[in-house]
Amino acid sequence: MNLLLVGMNHRTAPVEVRERMNIPEPRLGAAVADLVHREGILEALILSTCNRVEAVVSSREEVNAEPVLRQFLADYHHCDLSAYEAYLYWHRQQEVVHHLFRVASSLDSMLVGEPQILGQTKRAYVIAREVGALNGPLSEVTSQAFAVAKKVRRDTAIGSAAVSVSYAAVELSRKIFGNLSGKTIFVIGAGKMSELAAKHLLSSGASAIFVSNRTYDRAVELAQAFRGTAIPFEHLLDNLAKADIVISSTGAPHFVLEKGQVEKLLAARKNRPMFFVDIAVPRDIDPAVNELNNVFVYDIDDLEQVVDANKKQREREAVWAEEIVRDEVQKMMKRLASREVVPTIVALEDRLNRIREMELERQRGRLQNLTPEQREALDALTRGIVNKILHGPITELKSGAGQPGHGTLVELIRKMFGVAE
Amino acid sequence: MQSTFLWLALLLYALGIILAFPSVLRRRPVLSPATLGALGLGLLAHAGALGIEASAIHRLPVFDVRSALSFFSFLATVAFFFVYLRYRIAALGIFMLPLVFVLTLISALHPEQNFNNPAFRGGWLLVHISSIFLGYTAFFLTFVAALMYLIQERELKSKKPHAFYYRLPSLEVCDNLYSRSLVFGLPFLTVGILTGFIWASRRWTGPWEFDPKILASLLTWLIYLVLFSTRLSGTWRGRRAAYIAVFAFAAMMVTFLGISFLSGQHGYLPKFGSNP
Repeated sequence: MNLLLVGMNHRTAPVEVRERMNIPEPRLGAAVADLVHREGILEALILSTCNRVEAVVSSREEVNAEPVLRQFLADYHHCDLSAYEAYLYWHRQQEVVHHLFRVASSLDSMLVGEPQILGQTKRAYVIAREVGALNGPLSEVTSQAFAVAKKVRRDTAIGSAAVSVSYAAVELSRKIFGNLSGKTIFVIGAGKMSELAAKHLLSSGASAIFVSNRTYDRAVELAQAFRGTAIPFEHLLDNLAKADIVISSTGAPHFVLEKGQVEKLLAARKNRPMFFVDIAVPRDIDPAVNELNNVFVYDIDDLEQVVDANKKQREREAVWAEEIVRDEVQKMMKRLASREVVPTIVALEDRLNRIREMELERQRGRLQNLTPEQREALDALTRGIVNKILHGPITELKSGAGQPGHGTLVELIRKMFGVAE
Repeated sequence: MQSTFLWLALLLYALGIILAFPSVLRRRPVLSPATLGALGLGLLAHAGALGIEASAIHRLPVFDVRSALSFFSFLATVAFFFVYLRYRIAALGIFMLPLVFVLTLISALHPEQNFNNPAFRGGWLLVHISSIFLGYTAFFLTFVAALMYLIQERELKSKKPHAFYYRLPSLEVCDNLYSRSLVFGLPFLTVGILTGFIWASRRWTGPWEFDPKILASLLTWLIYLVLFSTRLSGTWRGRRAAYIAVFAFAAMMVTFLGISFLSGQHGYLPKFGSNP
């Protein structure tokens, strides 16, 4: 096995460079096919997203794939690669496995734990398979990377906390109301942000939506888009008690809702909890409302604060995830290594056993007077000799498997015992 | 034999609690099979201990402080399994089981007292005691739910999520568990107290109505009744109700344990024997 990876990501290269080196998905198949047909290359995989471009190959043992990859990138992008040298990283063998596992598990992402990268990696894998560029160890490593990513997701909370403001609003709603089905949303003031938050809430199961806006037409428009109900701004307070979640983003220069008004709403609601998401600046909802029982008011800064805490939480989880990945890399390396030496071991055993049988056959004439016991003893004796001879080389083959330079040792043993490729 | 089983149960509970911690710390959505296995086996051992004692004294082993504690913690573990299977809250293991462990430990450390008094027989008494214990178990759940609610509510109000924010269930789930256990517990406590009255009025002479434990029970019952009715009307909800539920459970524990030592009729052994 001979793996080599070259790549650049959001940490090593600025966006202009990543754009320049990007390979758009419709052309990915042709690019992989081009790469895999180059001299000495057995398998190839190209991953190209807005945050990273990576090309991985497995090549024949004696081939150094680095110049091939350089040439490929220079040809493909019609450029002089030396200008980009500083942005590139190179990984070999185990580092390649480690890198691919980390990428698929979203540990190398800009937002650690975001799941998109897994889908993109799967897509790259499918494309490479379609053009017949994956059929050996690299294929195995890549599909194992998906299993590892799944395990990381299952065993850590790396992807579970919201890292955007609008998702943080959904997550907080869930922390208050549990299941959102049957919950009513009230949007005050139509704006991009409130629209987005309402959309997320609806797709998380919230059932009814009311929209109110100073310009009634805009409210009607938005209500139609969400299949909700528009409420004239004058009637806002009469209808607000129906709402479990209120998203407010008016351009009003003063508070739209004050403590006393919300107290009345609560009485009408028999103290069922309410969640106010105030994304207006200046704020729409008097922060004193948060002092009321069963009411939670989050303004835009509060939401940002939650997002920050969530990101830190993800980083803590990433430490566990890295540990899982490291374990899995070790397992993968062992598997690949044993996969490599197995044919040699089998050939070796075969070869020596054949010699043993041939020699016994040659001496058959002289041995025909032996008793069955003696014959058995002779059999055990020769078998013992073969196993004793085999023991050394097999141990060497197994223990050194996967380590650098092992290929030459394998080669040497093959030559010594006359086992052909 | 019985205490061997009890110690075994204790050991398994401890193992279960220790195994539950990493799941909760690492925010696994559920407890590991090993945790549940240890707790389940612990429960079986506990049932074994209770069964042996019951067959020795030919009745429910709840007539002295030691067995009563053991019986209560057994029911609490059963309740844990019920609630865990229904709600799948890993943190429940951290909130419920340590108390179970401590109560079982006290019970196991207490010297054996073989209580056998023919005065303590009869159907009413059985109903009295089992209802009271079921009520206690339900209110233990109410207490745990209220506690989780208070912590989660504080996290949400503070707007700075800490460790608990990520590990505790939503307010809605806490509230749901809270009100269900309240609705479950109150009828049992009511039946328990009523049958206690009936039994006492038939068996006891003298001013048993002023027994401290009976008075304390009535007080606890009143608090729960208030919680229940304000919950129905919606006047008390959330934080305030949760605080009272925590207080009510503390009052109940005092009734259950503390006053047992002051009460004449409920004084358990050895004070009781000379008194009826």
